[in-house]
Amino acid sequence: MAEASPIPEDLAQVASEKGIPIELIQRALALGFPPDAVKGQLSMPGVTAEAAEQFIGEQERIRAGGEVTVPPELAAVAAEHNWPESLIIRALKLGAQADFLMNQIKAGIAAEQAENFINRQEQAREVGLAATLDLRWMHVPTEWGVRVRPGKKGLTVGAINVGTYADIPDVWPYRTEMPRGAYPIAGVPAMGYSIYEKAELWAENSADLYEEAIQRRWRPSSDIPWETMQDLPVEMEKAVCQVCTWLCEKALLAGDVTGKWLPEMSYGYHEVKLYLASAAYDYAHQFEVARKRALSNGGGMGLQSPGYFHRAVIDARAWTEASVALHILDASHTMMVLQIGEYTAHNEAESQIYRYAMQDVARQIAYGVQHLKFFLMKYHERRAEIHNYLNKSEALFLYEDERDVPLREALTILLGGGISPELMADGHRKLEYFRARFVRDYLARLASAGVPERKTKIHSALRKYVPQEVEAATAAA
Amino acid sequence: MTQEVKTKASFPSVEWFNAIREIVNGEEGFKRLGTCDSTVGIKVPDKGKFYVMTFEAFEISGVRETDEMAAEDTDFWLEISFAKWKEMIENIKANGRADLHHTLNTIDLEVPEGFARSNDGYRRDAFYRFNQTYQYFFDTSAKIDTTFV
Repeated sequence: MAEASPIPEDLAQVASEKGIPIELIQRALALGFPPDAVKGQLSMPGVTAEAAEQFIGEQERIRAGGEVTVPPELAAVAAEHNWPESLIIRALKLGAQADFLMNQIKAGIAAEQAENFINRQEQAREVGLAATLDLRWMHVPTEWGVRVRPGKKGLTVGAINVGTYADIPDVWPYRTEMPRGAYPIAGVPAMGYSIYEKAELWAENSADLYEEAIQRRWRPSSDIPWETMQDLPVEMEKAVCQVCTWLCEKALLAGDVTGKWLPEMSYGYHEVKLYLASAAYDYAHQFEVARKRALSNGGGMGLQSPGYFHRAVIDARAWTEASVALHILDASHTMMVLQIGEYTAHNEAESQIYRYAMQDVARQIAYGVQHLKFFLMKYHERRAEIHNYLNKSEALFLYEDERDVPLREALTILLGGGISPELMADGHRKLEYFRARFVRDYLARLASAGVPERKTKIHSALRKYVPQEVEAATAAA
Repeated sequence: MTQEVKTKASFPSVEWFNAIREIVNGEEGFKRLGTCDSTVGIKVPDKGKFYVMTFEAFEISGVRETDEMAAEDTDFWLEISFAKWKEMIENIKANGRADLHHTLNTIDLEVPEGFARSNDGYRRDAFYRFNQTYQYFFDTSAKIDTTFV
């Protein structure tokens, strides 16, 4: 019998609870089974002293040169799946149970994969288990002993930013997929990210927006009371469907642009990456619910938009430029369209669609505003650059707006309530009112982001919507 | 929509807000809308009444009566005349919730200065970010018996 190995306390306790004699545990350890593996086996339901004695006895017999017998059922399964009998024998010698082997074979594990594993196990057995383990990784010099507790909102991404894990550097020095707070290893290839500076993507509310997006998620399939939909006059249904078509196109574009930029962002700023991943999900929602509305009430899809403004977002050469165009200007305009949708809703389903969608778009705006604010805080000398982005975006927006007759007329019909000249005139008047609100809110968001002077630099075609009191105050200043 | 009315409170009063708060904080439907962190001012200017509601995580953690300046020192405040507040609350009571013309958003759009107002464009957007939460709160006023002072 092999020399008695020391038995760890926790293993002895499990053995005692299961009624397994200590002498059996010592024999198992002497056979080279790691203590954790023995403990794991003992913890399985149905393990008895008799079964353990039988297993260990069989292992001792095999180690002493005894013949290994392959049960006929296992031999048949192995043959059927092209596992050589010699491999089965080696596995049994290592202590694998016949039932376990049959399950693995049936699960599709290839003989070659199994042989690699068995080779390693045999090597471990020969040289002693401890010699094959490389436990240096356990001494990784990262902060240890962190124990964050959930708060009122649960265990949030923001809450786990504690100690060194709360250090978010101004420049991320690594070019690999290493998560922030982990310890780097040498030789890992660069992954080709292009954004390494915090100011280029950061927003202080990113972690909170991510949690908010996850907590406030909704399901277009079941959270919308679709049963409240009713047939509408043809011109109204066509107007609703044209707006929905526009929302679908906007959502797909925004999702694509976000997806394109995510791989450019280095891993040090995961809060932003997480939020933008949830924003991409929100864009999918916007597409989904708008398409469902278009195709669920006797209508269909409408005309595509001219798409000039898409270029302002797609062709942006920096994330901040894309964000300013997408999250502030475009999202403010989308918010206006959603507001009109809710204002003119014909039933509870439409009202809910637009209200839920507004929540998602408001988070996108919140990211854009806080990102621009952070960017300007770090790069106040680049203010003119931001105005250039806005000049370009507003110009393309207006060019698009002028040519997107279908959207403008659809909104006018919805606001006016029909297509008679009187109703269209009323709709036009109301649309101008909504556009003024859109410009007011757009400028208020930019002011909050640290660009209050935009009201004096806004595109001339939008200036007529700038509230007079704001203009007067600006002139006086 | 019919519901058992157990509570009576007059609007505007802290008791009225607290009566709704008590119902809402116990409802799974409210929690399911997700977390909301914001402070919301309530102004009934022609009655000289001002309040601040605090939304925190999955609940409304507090309501207090205050002065006009404190009501405006919030993410945003809701401001319409007493008559308009009364119309909204009566509409909610009659329908079980706001009809299509009396949602917070619709009222906001009909008031040129806005129903939801703020001194900061970013903070005002909380009105949109958590719109369903606020709507749920006011819709729940259908479950109490409101009198008007």
